[in-house]
Amino acid sequence: MATTVYRHGGPSPRRNRRLSGVLFMVGSAVALSGCTANEAFFFDLPEPATEQAPIIQNLWNGSWIAAWGVGAFTLGLILWAVIVYRRRHPNQVPEQTKYNIPIEALYTIVPLIMILGLFWFTARDQAEILAVDNDQEQTVNVVGFRWSWAFNYLDEDVYSVGVPYGEGSPGEPPTLYLPVDEKIRFELTSPDVIHSFWVPSFLFKMDLIPGKTNVFELTPDKVGTYAGKCAELCGTDHARMLFQVKVVERAEFDQHMDDLRELGQTGQLDNERTTTEGQRPEERRV
Amino acid sequence: MTILNEPPVTGTTTPPSSATAPPVRKQTLGKAVVNWVTSTDHKIIGYMYLITSMVWFAVAGLMALAIRAELAVPGLQIISLEQYNQLFTLHGTIMLFLFATPLFVGFGNVIMPLQIGSPDVAFPRLNMFGYWLFLFGGLVVAAGFLTPGGAASFGWFAYAPLSNAVNSPGAGADLWFLGLALGGLGTILGAVNFITTIFTMRAPGMTMFRMPIFTWTIFITSVLVLIAFPVLAAALIMMFIDRQFGTVVFAAENGGAILWQHLFWFFGHPEVYIIALPFFGIASEIIPVFSRKPIFGYKGLIFATMAIGALSVAVWAHHMYVTGSVYLPFFALMTMLIAVPTGVKFFNWIGTMWKGSVSLDTPMLWTLGFLITFLFGGLTGIILSAPPLDFHVSDSYFVVAHFHYVVFGTVVFLMFAGFYFWWPKMTGKMLDERLGKIHFWMLFIGFQVTFLVQHWLGVQGMPRRYGDYLPVDDFTTLNIVSTIGAAVLGVSTLFFIWNVLTTWKNAPHVNVDDPWGWGGSLEWATSCPPPRHNFTSLPRIRSERPAFDLHHPELAPPSARSQPQISSSASSTPGGGH
Repeated sequence: MATTVYRHGGPSPRRNRRLSGVLFMVGSAVALSGCTANEAFFFDLPEPATEQAPIIQNLWNGSWIAAWGVGAFTLGLILWAVIVYRRRHPNQVPEQTKYNIPIEALYTIVPLIMILGLFWFTARDQAEILAVDNDQEQTVNVVGFRWSWAFNYLDEDVYSVGVPYGEGSPGEPPTLYLPVDEKIRFELTSPDVIHSFWVPSFLFKMDLIPGKTNVFELTPDKVGTYAGKCAELCGTDHARMLFQVKVVERAEFDQHMDDLRELGQTGQLDNERTTTEGQRPEERRV
Repeated sequence: MTILNEPPVTGTTTPPSSATAPPVRKQTLGKAVVNWVTSTDHKIIGYMYLITSMVWFAVAGLMALAIRAELAVPGLQIISLEQYNQLFTLHGTIMLFLFATPLFVGFGNVIMPLQIGSPDVAFPRLNMFGYWLFLFGGLVVAAGFLTPGGAASFGWFAYAPLSNAVNSPGAGADLWFLGLALGGLGTILGAVNFITTIFTMRAPGMTMFRMPIFTWTIFITSVLVLIAFPVLAAALIMMFIDRQFGTVVFAAENGGAILWQHLFWFFGHPEVYIIALPFFGIASEIIPVFSRKPIFGYKGLIFATMAIGALSVAVWAHHMYVTGSVYLPFFALMTMLIAVPTGVKFFNWIGTMWKGSVSLDTPMLWTLGFLITFLFGGLTGIILSAPPLDFHVSDSYFVVAHFHYVVFGTVVFLMFAGFYFWWPKMTGKMLDERLGKIHFWMLFIGFQVTFLVQHWLGVQGMPRRYGDYLPVDDFTTLNIVSTIGAAVLGVSTLFFIWNVLTTWKNAPHVNVDDPWGWGGSLEWATSCPPPRHNFTSLPRIRSERPAFDLHHPELAPPSARSQPQISSSASSTPGGGH
């Protein structure tokens, strides 16, 4: 039925040279800009600072390699279609192909298999990351409140509490001390609204939900100071709800616990939700 | 009536004289306004939806520019944190509820009845009522800015208990809940109207499996609206009663924090597809015309759309991975599965271009911009569908970048594609190709510069909804880049406005039915713009491309080519309509 069928020639050697030229330019641009593979292709994922984080890092990198592969393939097809099948004559009439069942089946089944593969790795890894074995060496109750953080060190019977920005000194965010290479159990509670406990270097976050206690466990394995942030909108000073995590040697951790005891910060801050007034935990100490 | 006996001609038919000078134009401004606001013509109501949506788009776009200006460098320069929260809340609310959703109703109203060969929609008055609900609902939401406490500031998904009376007192928040409930009702009525129209008002020969893909997407989207919007309306009203009358439906001690999230996202995720599917439909209309081929895998594309619609109501809790309150494997699997029908659509579009005759006129250029942008948004979506990866980047700028690639990539790129494509059909004037291409390239580059770098910001630890960050965070360079991109993006819109104004005045009137020459669906078989009841004659509908069969009989399938007179069915067609 088609009157004129345009037939294109195969890819010419010249076009092949152009393609490899483009690939070479992309490669050398990445190399010349001094970007590492992590910066260029994995969006500069922070260096993992817990025993569990490399699981996430591996899944992240592996998924992105697959994603870039799929993306480059699909983008290649799009650009190929636009360039190779561009209109060359105003009266060009291509063959009016309407469907091709084998190809349609192929591009349904192949993505399905890829997705099931990703799901398998995902399910395996999330089970490992979220496992709560109750064999922790320290338990910390993280309390998020508008707009700062309090940390109850349950096994040490001490606490520390941050001062919201604008009330007193805004300089230092509250600091959570964690002993290195010890398994920590985090119990997340909130007396007012939803917050989220995010330490980018742990490659992990979990919400603090009023009326509910969320629990996870991880083992920091690199000494250092890490930024922590509230990641769930909690009102005006959401952006001021920052904290620090100091992962330290056991001796330094014990020293800090003693310092808190000397300050009289023994016992626990009440973390029960008793009122909707948004009171700060220190106002409701038991 | 001269139905079905039009001679098959190659090229185009001359329009009826009534269409060259629509009566509205001759009237005074006041009369024209009265005519418009009292009209029950689906096209006029559609234009009102489109124009109102564009005004909201501009308003929320200016808010986005203010947000980007504030974020360029650390510290607070132009607005306070509370004002910042109001801005992103209303930016998201307006873009989702008052721009993207009514834009779908607008395009659906203007184009869908034309595509099925109908003189109007099934319920023209209900149609107009829906528009007024949308308009006043939107004004009620935005009126929050005029209240002493300012507009709502709890984010567009209004998580409890942040959005309750204790944590968000003030009339601005109440107006937000009530305005959205009002507008939501308008959307529900619009969906009822579309479904009824598609079921009952198709022209003879227009079987379901001959409907254009765009009409199919309008149909499936309307079904999704009926599933999702009543849940939203119920949740909004319950929260309003909580706020005003002290009920405790969403009180945290009753598990209300998670209950709200379930209800909101049971609406919220289908909503993403409510604003995506019609625009996928626009892409499916444009690519064949500018590739000079029929859509590749027509039925596969419809089944893929149905699959997306069905899966979209089973994935809502992927917004809740970090709440520790949902069964992750189920929602991860459902979310990943959506990639399969979405991929099918992609390959169908590529298959349509394959071995075609591809010409990069402005509608096609915008559609290609969509393909490339949405491709990357889809890939980051796959990454986010995996809970272990989402744990890190959830609620970060990575998510902000992702949903702008997906939603802006789909809605805005394809909206402009649709405007450039259907502008002659809607106004009788062609938009200028050169200005359109400048508009495209500035917006495309501005968009990529704005949002690509935000992936890095998010992965490195910048949370979303932060009005400020610290110099030591090392986010400054990328934020400056993003803000510059946003400025370019904003300026590009001026070229569109200029294009509309200058062609309105100077462009010659389109006096053919199909200025693109290769249109397939029925809107290309009537004049530009169409007469009051759309068609003075209808071509035979014997394939999913009746206008193409009419204009290119030498390429039409044999069943559509032969021209027996079927006057009995012709007299019963709704296409006559007068």
